[in-house]
Amino acid sequence: MDPSEVEFLAEKETVKIIPNFSLDKIYLIGGDLGPFNPGLPVDVPVWLALNLKQRQKCRIVPPEWMDVEKLEEMRELERKEDMFTPVPSPYYMELTKLLLNHASDNIPKADDIRTLVKDIWDTRIAKLRLSADSFISQQEAHAKLDNLTLMEINTIRSFLLDSLNCMYKLRSNLQPGSSKGQAMDY
Amino acid sequence: MSDPPSDDGSDAIHDDGQDVMTPAELIAKLEEAWLNEKFSPELLENRSEVVECVMEQLTHMEANLQRVKKGDAKASMHRMEIDRIRFVLSSYLRSRLQKIERFFPHILEREKSRGEGDPSLLSPEEFAFAKEYHANTETYLKAVALKRMPPNLQTVDMLKAVPEPCLDSFVFLRVKERQENILIEPETDDQREYVVDMEEGSQHLMRYRTIAPLVSSGAVQLI
Repeated sequence: MDPSEVEFLAEKETVKIIPNFSLDKIYLIGGDLGPFNPGLPVDVPVWLALNLKQRQKCRIVPPEWMDVEKLEEMRELERKEDMFTPVPSPYYMELTKLLLNHASDNIPKADDIRTLVKDIWDTRIAKLRLSADSFISQQEAHAKLDNLTLMEINTIRSFLLDSLNCMYKLRSNLQPGSSKGQAMDY
Repeated sequence: MSDPPSDDGSDAIHDDGQDVMTPAELIAKLEEAWLNEKFSPELLENRSEVVECVMEQLTHMEANLQRVKKGDAKASMHRMEIDRIRFVLSSYLRSRLQKIERFFPHILEREKSRGEGDPSLLSPEEFAFAKEYHANTETYLKAVALKRMPPNLQTVDMLKAVPEPCLDSFVFLRVKERQENILIEPETDDQREYVVDMEEGSQHLMRYRTIAPLVSSGAVQLI
């Protein structure tokens, strides 16, 4: 899967915005939004929030977890624990990137948040690599991956799945002629 | 000028005349089907009822937007949403076509051996595509090489020539309905098989073959 597709899924998450225009309730296929009144916060999907922000029609309220203190706590916990700790949002990395790239003026301490989230991400990816390594070396057939986010799975997906397929082929001693289709991104 | 469509969000859609879905649930169904199709190594059952309903919604919405004047703030939001849904829809259909191109002899073979009344893997359009792709591949191979071969080598068994989908691939999945006693087969001879229970909401990495029936029943979601 392409990272941009994961980002596409993340854009469905809702975020609070404070519009500076007024508009009646709008009935989208995916659900109703609004009404929009200047100064009154309203929940909208991220894709709409970013579009309105780019047209300077709203201010984005950062999600609660996008806060230096909370993220520092998370970083410490993530470093202390051997397991993956629960993340505040299943799309924390994508949302941080999207919101900071497009609305950093609405987010206090944007640079600190960027660094903290990157630290958390790095710690988690390091853990992920370690566990993938032990998964392969112990030739496990099943792994539980709670608290992993889609983006994290996606960074390791093609490499891990292809390696597992190759090893399976080597082990089951298939001839090249009868080889089965490899895992592929559709 | 008329207001942008305002009745679309509320009317319900009948899915096979059984359960009633709201448009939002319909879109969620499409996204589920999209991700499952993207990550499963084999072609899944077609979801033409979902595809048709979504198409209907999109056409309806677009027809309504025709009547709205340019520069309307609501209309641009509706257009963006339509574009997003259209992207998922075409990505879904495209990944199915890719699989058909990759595995066509096996898919057609399965279609042939399908019993009366069993649901078809392919939609009528996909079936026509698969048959045509098969015929074209054969004609092409004949024209460029086979007819110049010695007579005893002039046929190719497509079923042997084209690799089968590898059902033993690993997949990532999230559990939507709690499952008990899923048998995990051992990787090597000195390991023993064991069973796991999968809690709702938990995520796993395992072989596709083990959980293939759960994907089609909708109990797990590939991620």
